[in-house]
Amino acid sequence: MLFKHLLGGVLLASTSIVPAMAQTNTDITVVLSEELDLVEPCMATRSNIGRVIMQNISETLTELDVRGDAGLMPRLAESWEDLGNGTWQFKLRQGVTFSDGTTFDAADVKHSFDRVFSDQITCESKRYFADTALTFNIVDDNTIDIRAEPAQPILPLLMTLVTIVPSEAPVEVLREPIGTGPYVMSEWAAGQQIVLTRRDDYWGTQPAVTKATYVFRSEPAVRAAMVEAGEADIAPQITQEEATNPATDFTYPNSETVYLRIDQTIEPMGDLRVRQALNAAIDREAFIGTVLAEGTELAVAMVPPTTLGWNADLEPPAFDPEKAKELLAAAAADGINTGAPIEVIARTENFPHVTEVGEVIVQMLNDVGFKATLRMVEVAEHEQYYSKPYPEGRVAQLLMAQHDNSRGDPVFSMYFKYHSQGTQSGVNDPKVDELIEKATAATGDERAALWSELFAYVQKEIVADVLLFHMVGHSRVGERIDFKPTIATNSQLQLSEISFK
Amino acid sequence: MTKMIGQRAIASLLSLLGLMILVFFLSRLTGDPAVLFLPIDATEQMKEEFRALHGLDRPIIEQFGAYVWDLLHLDFGDSLRKARPAIDVVLEAYTWTLPLALITMALVMVAAIVLGALAAFKVGGFFDRLVSIVSLVGASAPDFWIAIVAIVIFSINFGWLPTSGVGTPLHWVLPIAVLFIRPFGLIVQVVRGSMLSALGAAYVKTARAKGVKNRPLIFVHTLRNAMLPVITVMGDQAAALLNGAVIVETIFGFPGIGKLMIDSILQRDFNVVLTAIMVTAIAIFIMNILIDIAYGVLDPRIRQ
Repeated sequence: MLFKHLLGGVLLASTSIVPAMAQTNTDITVVLSEELDLVEPCMATRSNIGRVIMQNISETLTELDVRGDAGLMPRLAESWEDLGNGTWQFKLRQGVTFSDGTTFDAADVKHSFDRVFSDQITCESKRYFADTALTFNIVDDNTIDIRAEPAQPILPLLMTLVTIVPSEAPVEVLREPIGTGPYVMSEWAAGQQIVLTRRDDYWGTQPAVTKATYVFRSEPAVRAAMVEAGEADIAPQITQEEATNPATDFTYPNSETVYLRIDQTIEPMGDLRVRQALNAAIDREAFIGTVLAEGTELAVAMVPPTTLGWNADLEPPAFDPEKAKELLAAAAADGINTGAPIEVIARTENFPHVTEVGEVIVQMLNDVGFKATLRMVEVAEHEQYYSKPYPEGRVAQLLMAQHDNSRGDPVFSMYFKYHSQGTQSGVNDPKVDELIEKATAATGDERAALWSELFAYVQKEIVADVLLFHMVGHSRVGERIDFKPTIATNSQLQLSEISFK
Repeated sequence: MTKMIGQRAIASLLSLLGLMILVFFLSRLTGDPAVLFLPIDATEQMKEEFRALHGLDRPIIEQFGAYVWDLLHLDFGDSLRKARPAIDVVLEAYTWTLPLALITMALVMVAAIVLGALAAFKVGGFFDRLVSIVSLVGASAPDFWIAIVAIVIFSINFGWLPTSGVGTPLHWVLPIAVLFIRPFGLIVQVVRGSMLSALGAAYVKTARAKGVKNRPLIFVHTLRNAMLPVITVMGDQAAALLNGAVIVETIFGFPGIGKLMIDSILQRDFNVVLTAIMVTAIAIFIMNILIDIAYGVLDPRIRQ
C-alpha cells in the first residue's frame, strides 16, 4: 500500500514537471559546458562569454562571415573607408538604440574603446591592439575617424572584436550589460542560469527565438542527455562518444588546430633533418576514427582552411618511418645528438583523448629512434612551457598545444607562433619575421599571397613545427530547432541564426 | 561540558588561523593568476596591469598584511574571476551544499540506524542481506557511474526526473540518492557491528530475562550504547559532504562548494579558495563541537 502511494506520488510529480521542462514554442534552452564568471561585454572574445553576449546582447561595428564567403560585413557600422595615413572612417548605423533606450552614436564607440584600454578593467580585446596606438576623432554623431599608429590595414576586421557599450557604462566590470543587440539579459542566477529576452525595439530583423535560457553542465554526457530528454534544445561541445544520433548530432570543423611546437634552440631540434624526421615519424591518419573523431583533418597550417591566404597546395607530411630513420642517421653522422631526451608536454583535458594522442605520438617517435617521453601537466604548468620566457635548463621539448583562430586572418596566429619575438614561438628565422611583418602591413590580394607564402615557408622550408590536426567539434541540436552548428559555434552562438522547424 | 566546548572552540580558532596562513602562502606558490585569467596571447603589459589591479604585484608579505587587515574588517576580498566579493560567491555555493549535505545525512542516519539495527538483530535475515548488498554497491560503484546510469534510467528512459539542475524539489532527488549510497553503505555496517557487540552485552541479557520486548530492547537500550562509534563515522562522512560533493555537483550541475573550490584552485582565484576553505573549516569545527555535545548526551562519563 505504502509502495503504491509512493509510486503514485512520483508519477504525479513527474507529470507536473513535464510542463515546466517543456518550452514555449519560440523559447529555447542552451546547455553550455562552462559557467560564465562574467557577463562583461569587453570580455566577449572569450568563448564562453562570447557565446552568450556576442551579437546577442552586444554588437560590434563589423562582423566577419566565418561560415560563408561574404567576408567582412557591416553591423553597427554601415560602411568604412581607408582615408590614408593610418586613418579609417566609419559611418555608423542610424536609428539604433541600446536596450536602456539611449541612442547609439560615435561617442559610444569612443567610450567602448576607452574602456578596453583602461587599466582599471581587464578587457581581453585589448590584446588585438597591443602595438597600435588608436586616436579617435568624432566627426559627427554617426561618423568616427579612427587613426592607428602604426597604420593597421585590418582595422575594420579588428572592429569585429570590440563590443560597443553606451557612453554611460562605467569603467568597472558590468554585471548588467547594456547593448544594441536583439536581446537583453533579463536574469542572471549565478551558477544556475542566464536568460536573454528578445527586444521589441531592435534595429534589425527580429530573430525567431523569443527567449533563450542558458544553463551550465560540465559533463558532456549530461548535456547530450538534456537535449535527448527535451530539457534543452542546443548542446554545443558534446563528445565524439555522445554524438551518435544522426538526427540531432552535428560534427563540424571547430577552428582548433593541434600541433607540436618545436623549440629549435635545444639540441637536437635545431637540425632541419631532425625536424623532418619528427614529421615523418608520425602516422597522422592512424588517429582519425580511432582516438580522434571522424572528420578530423590533417593540418598543413596553424590556421583552419577558412582563413585568408590559405595555401591549398600544401600537403601534410607523409608518414615514412624509414625516411625518418635515414634522416636521423644522417644527422647523427654529422655529430647531432639524436639520442638526446625529448619531452612531449601536453595539457590534461586540452581536447578529448589528449593523453592517448600523446602516448601514441611518443611511441611513434621512439619507433624511429627518438628518446621521447610524455609529460601530462595541468593548465598553469603548461603555460610555463608554452609562453616565453621558456624555463632555463630544459631538455628538448615538443609542446602539444591547441590553437584557435576563427577570426579569419592569420595575423591572429602567425606573429605569436612564428615571429622571433612571438610569445609562443620556437622559431628564429629572419625571413619568417620579414614575411610576417610584410603580410601584417599589406592589404587585399598582396596580403593573402604573403600569408600563403609564409604558410609554405614555415611548413616546407624550415619545418617549424609538427602540425597535426584541424579538429572537429560535436553539437547536439533538438529536432524542433533549425540550426546547423559551424566553425563559428566555437566562439559565438548567434540566436538570430536559430529558427524553428 | 561547557569548559570542554570552550576549549574546543579556542583550539578550532587557532587551527583556523594556521590554516589561513598556510593556504595563503601555499596557494601563491602555485602560479600566476594573470596567466590563467588572460588569453594566451595577452601582452606583458596586460599581465602587469592585471597584477597591479588586484594587488598581486606587491611583495607577498605586504599582500598578506593587507589580507589580514581586510579580514579583520570582515572583508574577504574579491574573486578575481567573478569580480565580486569572494564571501558572496562562497556563501551562495553553501546555500546549495548545506541543504544537500544535511538532507542526505539525515536520510542516511535514519536509514542506517533502522536497517543496521534490524540487520544486527537477525544476522543472515532479509535486512542483513539487503544491507550487505547496498554496502557492497556503495563501496564498489563509482559515484559518477551511478549518477550517469541514474540519469539514463530515471530521466531519459522513464522521464520521471529531470537530468540535472536545481529548479524544483524533483531536481534534488537524483543528487541526494547518489550521494546517499556511499555513506549509507559505510554507516549501516558500523551500526550493525556496533549493535552486534551491544546485543551480546550482559545488560541486554538481563533486559531479555526481565521480559523487555524486542523493539524497546533494540531502539531504547542497545542502540544508545551502540551509537558512539556510529556518530564518529557519521561526523567523518558529513565533513566530506560539507567539503562538497564534486562529482555529484559536476554531473548534476549543482552549484555547490565542491565544484567552486576545484574551479577556484585551477584558476588560482586565491580569495575564493581561501574563503571557501575557511568557511568550510568553520562549518566542520561547528559540526565537531556538535558531535562532542552528542557524545556527552549519549555517554554521561564524557560529561564529567
